[in-house]
Amino acid sequence: MDSATSKLISRLYWLVTFCLLVAVTAMMAFWTPREETMGDVQKIFYIHLPTAISTFIVCFVVFVASVMYLLQRRSWWDDVAFAAAKVAVLLASIVLLTGMIWGRSAWGHWWTWSPRLTFSLILWLLYVVYLMIRPSIESSQRRALICAVYGVIAFMDVPLVYLSVKLLPDIHPSSIQLSPDMRTTLLAWFVPMGMLVIGLVVTSFKINRLHRAISEPVEEEVDEPRLVPAGGNA
Amino acid sequence: MNRAIRHIALLTLKDLRIEARGRQTIGLVVVLAILIVVVLALGLGPGSGSSGLSATAILWVAYLFGGVLIFEKTMAVERYDDALAGLLLAPIDRGSIFAAKLLANLVLMFTLALVVTPVGIMFFQFDLSVAPGGFALVMAISMIGYAAIGTLFAALTSSTRLAGGLLAMLVFPVTLPVVLVSTRVLANLFEHNVSIGGSGLAILIAFDVMFLTASWLVFEIVLEA
Repeated sequence: MDSATSKLISRLYWLVTFCLLVAVTAMMAFWTPREETMGDVQKIFYIHLPTAISTFIVCFVVFVASVMYLLQRRSWWDDVAFAAAKVAVLLASIVLLTGMIWGRSAWGHWWTWSPRLTFSLILWLLYVVYLMIRPSIESSQRRALICAVYGVIAFMDVPLVYLSVKLLPDIHPSSIQLSPDMRTTLLAWFVPMGMLVIGLVVTSFKINRLHRAISEPVEEEVDEPRLVPAGGNA
Repeated sequence: MNRAIRHIALLTLKDLRIEARGRQTIGLVVVLAILIVVVLALGLGPGSGSSGLSATAILWVAYLFGGVLIFEKTMAVERYDDALAGLLLAPIDRGSIFAAKLLANLVLMFTLALVVTPVGIMFFQFDLSVAPGGFALVMAISMIGYAAIGTLFAALTSSTRLAGGLLAMLVFPVTLPVVLVSTRVLANLFEHNVSIGGSGLAILIAFDVMFLTASWLVFEIVLEA
């Protein structure tokens, strides 16, 4: 595929994503009914839930890419993991902020140590650390290795964090009764959110590849020294 | 099997002998941990740590920072004079090297806890006599998981410029569930007489099993990179 076609596809993709985002925002604002007890603040739920689910999926991408890097030692996988981690932090930040806004309206406080808010905070911390450690490691191969191991360990930690925060007293709603048009809006939000997340990961990945091409013009794909048979050609 | 156990014992004793002769780590770590407890005691004011939750949380802060220093120092020993290269050339399984480092770290962490815990109890007038066995068991199980993660990341970060700071950044967020669960379990034990066990202890054991296995599997890749 030449670069002009690729650019056109990319622009079309972002245009469709933007139009869908405008459409679901309009649905949320004007079409779905106002919830009786919480009022308009309840509508934040349509953004909160798809973002929270997308965060887990992107964290899983970090995990898979990290495992693949450990198996294959190709910088390509490190760039995928880094791209996904950036998006994971962005999404986790949105989940935290929307959760805090909800909490302020529902319980009167910006922050409560409820299990799910605490879980969101620890998840955010786990992946912020992933981004923060990268610039402090000079060797690109060492950086990729440390981040890959951390990416695996951090994802393995997620279910344990989930189980451990359950020991805290809970005031978070476990299920919410939704009318059919509320459910339709919620489901509709998953489409642009999914497209936005895929678009962000792909774009971030492309930027990472460009950065690597500039900083390491002669790239060595595999860290491990390759054994060359005596007298044979490499 | 016997061979692996012999290797692990040999390497653990080697690390402990280096520490016994130099005494570079444990003295430093104990003083740092006591300083942390004193700073928190003064900052929070008298009587603040008498509840199970706050006393164990304060002790955890001292264990966490002390632990990071221990993990860093025991791995740094191998980086001087290319000792690690010699270790890797020896016909020893990489898993045995991990187990030996972990055991040496655990011995030093338990020594740290043996000194710092009475100091914390004294400063905070925390009554440990209610369930000393339960306290020791929960802390020991928690420290095994913490040491497993710490040993792995210390091997990863020891050759980097910011070894200690980086290690703390990597280990602390991953260890948060252990701190949360152990303080909750101990608070229930000391404040409400709820026996340890159930989901809290299961999470701590799951943490140990998961991260011991993962660290053991990844350690070979980490050492040879």
